Amino acid sequence: MNGLWRRRLWRALLSVGALAVLYGIASEIGSALLPRRIWMVAHYLEDVELLPPYRSLLEETVFLIQSGILPRSVLVSTARVFEGLALGAAVGVPLGLSMARAARLECLLDPWVTFFRFTPALALLPLYALWFGLGELSKILLIATAVAVVTLLGAYQGVRDVPRVYLEAAKSLGASKGLILRKIVWPAALPQIFSSLRIALGLAWVTVVVAELIKATMPSLGYLLALAGAYPRVPTIAVGIVTIGLLVLACDAVALGCYAVATRWMKRSPAHA
Amino acid sequence: MPDPRRRRLEIRDVTHVYEGKTATRALDGVSLDVFENEFLAIVGPVGSGKTTLVRIVAGFLTPSSGVVLWDGAPVAGPSPERGYVFQEEAIFPWMTVRDNLQFGLLAQGVPASEREKIVAELVTLIGLEGYERAYPKELSGGMSKMVEVARVLATDPAILLLDEPFGLLDAQTRSKMQDQLSRLWEEKRKTVILVTHDIEEAIYLADRVVVFTPRPGRVQAEVVVDLPRPRSLETRFSPAFLELKRSIWKEIGRA
Repeated sequence: MNGLWRRRLWRALLSVGALAVLYGIASEIGSALLPRRIWMVAHYLEDVELLPPYRSLLEETVFLIQSGILPRSVLVSTARVFEGLALGAAVGVPLGLSMARAARLECLLDPWVTFFRFTPALALLPLYALWFGLGELSKILLIATAVAVVTLLGAYQGVRDVPRVYLEAAKSLGASKGLILRKIVWPAALPQIFSSLRIALGLAWVTVVVAELIKATMPSLGYLLALAGAYPRVPTIAVGIVTIGLLVLACDAVALGCYAVATRWMKRSPAHA
Repeated sequence: MPDPRRRRLEIRDVTHVYEGKTATRALDGVSLDVFENEFLAIVGPVGSGKTTLVRIVAGFLTPSSGVVLWDGAPVAGPSPERGYVFQEEAIFPWMTVRDNLQFGLLAQGVPASEREKIVAELVTLIGLEGYERAYPKELSGGMSKMVEVARVLATDPAILLLDEPFGLLDAQTRSKMQDQLSRLWEEKRKTVILVTHDIEEAIYLADRVVVFTPRPGRVQAEVVVDLPRPRSLETRFSPAFLELKRSIWKEIGRA
């Protein structure tokens, strides 16, 4: 397992390093070849770095951190992601569980789930902005909607996939419905619920950034990107994108860790050990 | 002449048809009695409805016609009184050995101290000391099957229904499990129905062997096994054992 991780780390460093070197070369050549004057909207913009070299990126990073813009934006966006995730999962998981256990509820909800499953939650943005305003509420509800649909499906499928033999074994040992739900259905469905949470977390980041891009309120990562695009300042955009990427990566690692702990009882094939 | 032994289970003219695109008649008019402390084995080819019958006795299935009476009352749904060991792996993989063993006790509201005591006894009984906190993935197939048997024994059921419990194990582990089960039974003297397609297993363990016909299942013959107990490796090679084996094979040949 240790060897496997080390190999993976090396491979990751190698691919990132190679790309970084290529970018360094491209940006040095590019700054000489690319125009620094671009035509945008209705007028010329002067002094635009389309492919900023590393020193501009470094300067920009230092500025954004020292001014407190980046840390504050990270905090605001991350908070929205987790608030939306918590709210969405709190609605989606119980609904998915009950839907799988109650045929009548399933009939009632199934068409809605099928509909929302392939409708991007972001399509609701204009509606939510009108209903809930341009502030915090509409953004968090938008994330929660996306998360709820995904986790509902995860919980539903998780319960549906519980092998019949476990339910029969529990029943013949005299377990009540409540005990079966707590000790059999829930732990057996948990791996799928966690998988869906992991997907939902990625989706939450996509949703938050786009929501902030369109209905921007300062400070947040989406707003930073929108502002940098309007200016335009490519280094700011680059720093914003890398920050979001790193945050998503970190969140995914945490989610994966939680999943591994919650499913430590599972048999695993060596490749994923 | 009335049987001096107490009759616990009465299976009366049970027929079962699995509905579907092509309806399958699994059982056809089966009648059987099982007595107190008796070890009954049901043998028959795959698809002869043996599993269907024990599933009906367990209460997982309702027969298409006929009745199953347990102590004179019709069976309605599963109950811890009729312990069931599955053909498939039914050990709960997310629970430790200890939690698996005490699940039935937990379901019946047995207090924690009492649960601990029973679990400790069972762990010793099946020789799994030191594995209490292990997850099933750390156990071999034979060990985890034994945990399933012990999990059912924990709640002290009146009858044990074993549906090809060792079907998934290799021959060596299987014979070890049979020895263990035989010892367990001699200690506990429970009423048992064992379903198997292994004729030797049936003779080695049972007091009486019922032979089923191929689909639809009917009782074709009954053979009383009067081999002395405790049984051992020697039993498997005794002339009486071989004679029983021959007579059961003959019955099957006639089907």
